[in-house]
Formats: sequence, structure tokens, C-alpha cells
Amino acid sequence: MIQVVFFLHLLLPLQAVAPQAADQAKALLQSGIDAENRKDLDRALVEFRKAAELDPSSSDVLLRLGDACMKKHDAAAAIAPLKRAAGLSPDSVPVQQLLGYALLAQGYAAEAIPHLEMARDPGALGIAQLENDEPAKAMANLQSALADDPDNPDLLFYLGRAATAAGSQATDKLLAAFPRSARAHQTRGQGYYQRKMIPEAVKEYEQAIAMGPDLPGVHLELGEIYAGRTEWPRAEEQFRAETTLQPGNAEAAFRLGEALLQEGKMKEAANELRRSDSLRPNMPETLYAIGRALAAADASAAEQALTSVLKIEQNTPLAAEADLLLASIHRKQGKSALASREMEDYRRIQGLKGQ
Amino acid sequence: MKRVVRKRGIVLVLAALPVLAQLVARAPQFQLTPLRGVDFVLRNSPTPRKYLIETMPGGVALLDYNNDGLLDIFLVNAGHLSNPLRSPAHFERDSPAYWNRLYRQNKNGTFTDVTVQAGLQHAGDTNYGMGVAVGDYDNDGFPDIYVTNFGKNILYHNNGDGTFTDVTAKAGVAAGGWSVSAGFFDYDNDGKLDLFVTRYLDWTPETSKTCGRTLEPMYCPPGEFGSTANILYHNRGDGTFEDVSVASGIAAKKGRGLGVAFADYDGDGFTDIFVANDAIEQFLFHNNGNGKFTEVALDSGAALNNAGKMPSGMGVVFQDYDNDGRPDLLITQLPHEPYVVFHNDGNKSFSAQELETGFGALSETSSGWGVGLEDFDNDGWKDAFIVQGHVFDNVHSYDNSLRYRDVPLLALNNHGHFERGNVGPTQPVAGRGAAFGDLNNDGWIDAVTTSLGDGPQFYLNHGGKSHWLTITLRGTSSNRDGYGARVQVNGQVRFATAAGSYLSSSDKRLHFGLGDNSKAEIEIRWPSGIRQSLRDVSADQFLTIKEPERK
Repeated sequence: MIQVVFFLHLLLPLQAVAPQAADQAKALLQSGIDAENRKDLDRALVEFRKAAELDPSSSDVLLRLGDACMKKHDAAAAIAPLKRAAGLSPDSVPVQQLLGYALLAQGYAAEAIPHLEMARDPGALGIAQLENDEPAKAMANLQSALADDPDNPDLLFYLGRAATAAGSQATDKLLAAFPRSARAHQTRGQGYYQRKMIPEAVKEYEQAIAMGPDLPGVHLELGEIYAGRTEWPRAEEQFRAETTLQPGNAEAAFRLGEALLQEGKMKEAANELRRSDSLRPNMPETLYAIGRALAAADASAAEQALTSVLKIEQNTPLAAEADLLLASIHRKQGKSALASREMEDYRRIQGLKGQ
Repeated sequence: MKRVVRKRGIVLVLAALPVLAQLVARAPQFQLTPLRGVDFVLRNSPTPRKYLIETMPGGVALLDYNNDGLLDIFLVNAGHLSNPLRSPAHFERDSPAYWNRLYRQNKNGTFTDVTVQAGLQHAGDTNYGMGVAVGDYDNDGFPDIYVTNFGKNILYHNNGDGTFTDVTAKAGVAAGGWSVSAGFFDYDNDGKLDLFVTRYLDWTPETSKTCGRTLEPMYCPPGEFGSTANILYHNRGDGTFEDVSVASGIAAKKGRGLGVAFADYDGDGFTDIFVANDAIEQFLFHNNGNGKFTEVALDSGAALNNAGKMPSGMGVVFQDYDNDGRPDLLITQLPHEPYVVFHNDGNKSFSAQELETGFGALSETSSGWGVGLEDFDNDGWKDAFIVQGHVFDNVHSYDNSLRYRDVPLLALNNHGHFERGNVGPTQPVAGRGAAFGDLNNDGWIDAVTTSLGDGPQFYLNHGGKSHWLTITLRGTSSNRDGYGARVQVNGQVRFATAAGSYLSSSDKRLHFGLGDNSKAEIEIRWPSGIRQSLRDVSADQFLTIKEPERK
């Protein structure tokens, strides 16, 4: 974070500052600027410090001194002159901005915030707010900064962190304020699941469902846990509950269809998968699953679904699986030439995968 | 109004009673029963070094070695693993704790350990035991035993007097490397049993490594080691075998072979070979009838599962589950993928139907090994029995939804769709081998399973009231065991073999459940090509059928 602040400070337009110091101090200031131009930062620092001693009321000199310290990656040394400069020129945007950077670099995020607000620097302000445990405000400012500089990786990085922190903060609040609510149980369930503590996750989800049986999404998540453990009857039960709650949810219908498929309930599976396809058409995974469900009972419909997969997917593992299933259907129909063609495609894709 | 409804309810209940009674009568009544006299423990000697061989044994065979009509039991032991294991490895097989064991069944149902008497007590100090195959390779009427090992395999010739002789060197079937399952079959229909041996990996103690977490290592997946070729031995008929792996085309395909099963899947009269491979495509070796085989699994639809994925094939059985007369495949594998069912569609092709058959909901979190398709409830439909247990003894610390020890799966066949059955009270074990046969000759098929670090489990089926028929084939032109014969009884078909499952060899007698039929019609196509029909055969008997002379 400190490095980013030092980087940001290099962009400051110091040319906007007009030198108005005493003559001797003015000469030293110029000598320091010359040294700085020669990239002799050590010399420049000496000259700026002398100038500041001679003319401690010059905010320009103090700003130059603070800037040189920042260029030397010494934010601690920059803070004092910049604070004096800010006292002398409270409306100076470069002074406020640089002071904000210096404070932020030293870990004084809360102190940096008013200076960065005055400087109207939403990027640095967002970073400071994130460090100050204000992720929601940070997200707003970082998004504002990204509007002007959409490809800035640092801003994107901090926005990501702010979003995570905001989510975590909301979760903490939920768990602290409503620890026995259905959503709190669901949240704890998610946490256990991420840590692969499956029995604990299941218990939390079951409690969430007991408290809020109509909460959308909970049955789906619990069903996915059961599906991951290949406990298909239980998965079916949860997905079915989700589809009852959300009959227009294509994902829930797809998951239910998959569970039914795994249980060998091919006709029911095909119906549910077709319903999912009607809700969200042309999802290749849904079409492939329809092909699997109908391969034995309705070869023609299965063939149609799998052909649709191959129109969407090329040279992917799913396309290879569709080719394989099509070959099986064709073999069963006695269409050996078509089967061979599908197997050729299958092998070609597998070959591509291996490269 | 209420009364009427109530009356109807009573009538319905009464009407259902005979059906319920029938169902109860037909369900297999398994009882996990210790067999008196069998004190075997499968000692695999697991080490912290997670040598892969230690999680793979061991086999069991059900055979009538002395032809007294009672099934005897041969159990393969593993061996002692030192830590670290040094080459050449020694497994202390001279110690009685690590002997393979032969238990003779007495007339009262007890067993006597006849290992020493039979001359089977020492299986070679450099051999870590794996599996067993049984077949009468010299057609003398007594079943011979072939034991597979990590090391050298051993062929024991049955002398017919209760003793066996190690004839490995003379026969030339020692193989080497890591052999797993094996089976006798007659691939060229010359009347002499040939021998197929699966081999798993190109693994040695030196190339061994561990995977997983540093402080909690686990066995490495097979992909960490080199693959290897299976072996086919041709029986010359003079007590010797010729390694025809290369000449036959078998060695052209390197894999990770575990289980093997035989059947003539395309009805061309020649027995084909299916090899269950671990985490790669499965192998189906089509017998071209000229001494050569072509591997056709992928193009026949028998290489990948329903989702197009490569199964972790372990055990396999090659029998007809849906009574369409064609042999299908059931393959056991690791959890979170259903056990694989390749339905034989005819046209030399298969389709993966694990979901249609119900195995998607039956496999779930279990790892399957030994497997049989037998009609346990004698209803005329072959059921599945699968012994289960995970590969990793510490799997729970990696995935707490999985378990190392498990109970077997009984899947009852309801017209081609399988549903969970009840194996009765049992204990979870690290199951591996499984053999099937009628141990107590009561007409109901029993199961014997093996488990790592434990004794064998005997699931005695106390049956019910349905009829049955058990056939012993006696080949004359064909091999004496009749292996490879296609036997059809009342529309059901079995392909004669003792091979299949995992590491194990089952009762060679062919068992058929007849349901309510007290009579049977039998059609046999012998490997010699001779066809034989028997009509109006009474049920509930053990029948020996001799192959007729060629006309």
C-alpha cells in the first residue's frame, strides 16, 4: 500500500506552485529544484531544508521539502513540513493531497482521509477508507476513481479487497446482530462448506431451512452440498423444494434435473431439464444433460439436444462428451458411419486437450 | 360412508398380503456368519510409507479341490512389509502368519485348515500376495490354483490326492512385476484352458512415493507411476504355457489393469476379455478368432462412463443383468462416480447405463472392489453384490464424507433396475476380494469377502421359497470346466467362468434362480460349438451336464 502511495504522489502537478520566499531562501529553493532535476535528491533535500529554515512561512518551500522526502520514500520525514504547509495554505490541493499520501503511507489512514477529501482524490481516499475499516465508502470512491481510470490495476485490486471486506463486515454484523436468524445459519453453513466441514455445514443449512423454509437459495445451496457428496435422493429433495419456491429459476430446475438423472429417473429428469432449458435457453450443460436423460428412451430428441450442444461448444470437454454420447446413440441405431464420425471428433478434441 | 371406506381399506390390505409374503420369501436372507475352522487374517502390513501394494490385496477362491461336492475356500495372504522396504524385497512369507490358506469344508459345515497337508504353505518370500484364479488347466478333473503376486506368480497343480505341486517353473507362468487378477479361459477353443493375468503398475519399492500432506501422507494415485501390459499365456497342452502377450496383441495396450472378466460379447463363438483399468480407459479385447485380439473398448462404447469420464475400474463382472441374452459389464470404482454399467446393445456395442440401472443412487460415497452378478433371491434376475472400502486408510482426514471401512452393497435387480437390498447386520471393513457360490449347497448363493487386516466375511444366504437350479458343466471336446459355455435356462443366460470380481475366483457351478418355475429348459452352446438342449428339467437340484460327443 505504501508503495502505491509513493507512486501516486509522483503524479502530483507541483508546477502549479509559485515560489514566493525570501531571496536567500528563494535561491536555495531554486538550487534544490536544479538538484532535483539532476536527480540528485540528497542535494535537493539539503537545499530545501536550508530554505525552510530561512523561510519557515513559505508553504511552497515546505511543499518542495515534503515532496523530496516522499521521493526518498521517507513519509515520516515528509509529514511535519507538509502539515506546516497545510496550516499555511489550507486550500492548496497539492499540499493536502501530498499530506494525505504521507499520512496514509505511515498508516494514519483516519488522519489522511480529510486531506484526501479536500484534495478530491477518490482513489487514494478509497484506499484510506478501506484501511480505516470503511469498506462501503471505499468501494464508492474506488469505483468513482475507476470511472476515470478503468484499467488501473491498483484501483481494481483495492476495489476487490474493499468488496470482500464489505461482505465480511455485513456478515459479521448479521452474525452479531441476528445470530439465530435463518440467514445467519445460512452464512455459517457457507463458511463451513468452504472449509469442507460438511456435517457442520449441513446442520447450519438445516437450521436455516427450519427457521426460514421459504428463503430462496438455501435449499439450492444445501442441495449442492448433497450433490457434491453424491447423496442424490437428499439433493433431489432440496432442489425440488427450491423449484417449488422459485419455479422460474432455471438453475434450480437444472440441478433438480441432474439429481433425477443421477437417480436413474430419466423421464422426470428430462422433463425438468427441458423446463430449465425453456427458462434459460441454450445452456450447453442443460442440453447435454437432456441428451443423457433421453439417450435410451428417445434417441431422436437426445440427438437433437446433443447436436445443439455441438453448435454452441467446439473443442471443449463438453463437446467431446457430446460427441461420445452421440456416437453411442448412433451405434445403438446401427448407424456405424455416423458413430465413427463422432468418435473421430471425440478423438480430435481429446487430442487438442492434450496439446 | 366411513364404514365402506374402512372395508375397502381392509380388503386392500388383505389383497396385498400374498404379494408381501412373496416378496419376503424371495428376498435373500443374508447372515454374516463366522465359519468354524477358518481363522485366516489378511495381513497386509500397512506402513507410514504408504507402499501402494499394501492397500490392494487379497483374493479368495471358492473351489471344490477334492471333488467331494462341498466348496472349499482358498485365501491369499499378503506379507510383511519392512519400513523401509529394500530391494530385493522380502515379505516373510515363510512365517505361518503370512501363508495363503486352504480350508477344506467338512460334511458338517465346519472347515479344516489343510494348507500344510496340501503343500500350499509357503508362497515365496519375495512374493507379496494379491489374487487367485482357479481352473483345471490339464483337464484331469481336479481344479488347479494360480496365485498372483507382486513378485512371481505361482501355479499349483492339483495332484488329485489332496496335495498340490508348484509347477510354475515348468509351466512358465511366473510373470513378474505386479500381477493382480487372473483368470482361466479358452481363447482359441482348443479344449485347454489358457491364462490371462492383469498387471497394475510399473511400481517398485524404489519408485514408491507418497502424496498428500507432509505430516499425513496418503497413497499416490496410479498416474504417478508407469503403466504396464497384461499377460496372456497359451496352454500348449503338455503342462507348459507360452507367453503370447505380444503375438496376440494383448501387450500392445499398456494400462493399469486390476479386474478381469471373460465372455463372448458379440456371439462369434470366441471368448473376449474385459480389463478394468484404474483411472484410464477400460480395455475390451475382442477375440478375432485367429489367436489375435483387438482392443475395441472406446469404439464399442465400453471405455468411458455415462459422463464420458475414465472410470477408476477395479472389480468387474461380465454377465447378462437384463436377461436379453447378451453379457453386460458391471465395474466397481472409487466414490463420487457411480459404479459403471455397460449394457450390451448388440451390434458389437455397449452403452453406459449406470444411471438408467439405478447405480447412480447406489454408489454414492463408497469404493467398490469385488463384485458379482448372481441371483441371490432366485427370482430369475441377477443381483449385484459389491464389497466396499476406500483405498486410503486415512481418507476421512482428507474428505470427511468418505470412510475407509464400509459395508457391502447388495443391489437387487428388479427387471433391469437395481435397488438397495439388505445384507443383514454387518460390520464395516476395508473390503477387497469377493467370491460367490453356494457354500452350504442349499440352492442359495452365498458371498465370501476379504478385508485388509481382518478375517474373511461369510455372508450365508438363508434364502426363501423360490426354485433354483445349479449346473456343473463337464466338457469333453471343450475344456473340462466348460469355461466359455453359454448356458441359457428359462431365458436367463450365464457365461461359464470362475473369473471376474476382483482378485478372486467364484464357484464354477452355474446357478439359476427360477422363481415360481419348478421346471427348466436348458440350452447350452459349448466352446467347441456343440449345442445341447435339455427339456423339462426339475428345479431345485444340482445337475451335472456332460458335453455330448461331436456327431
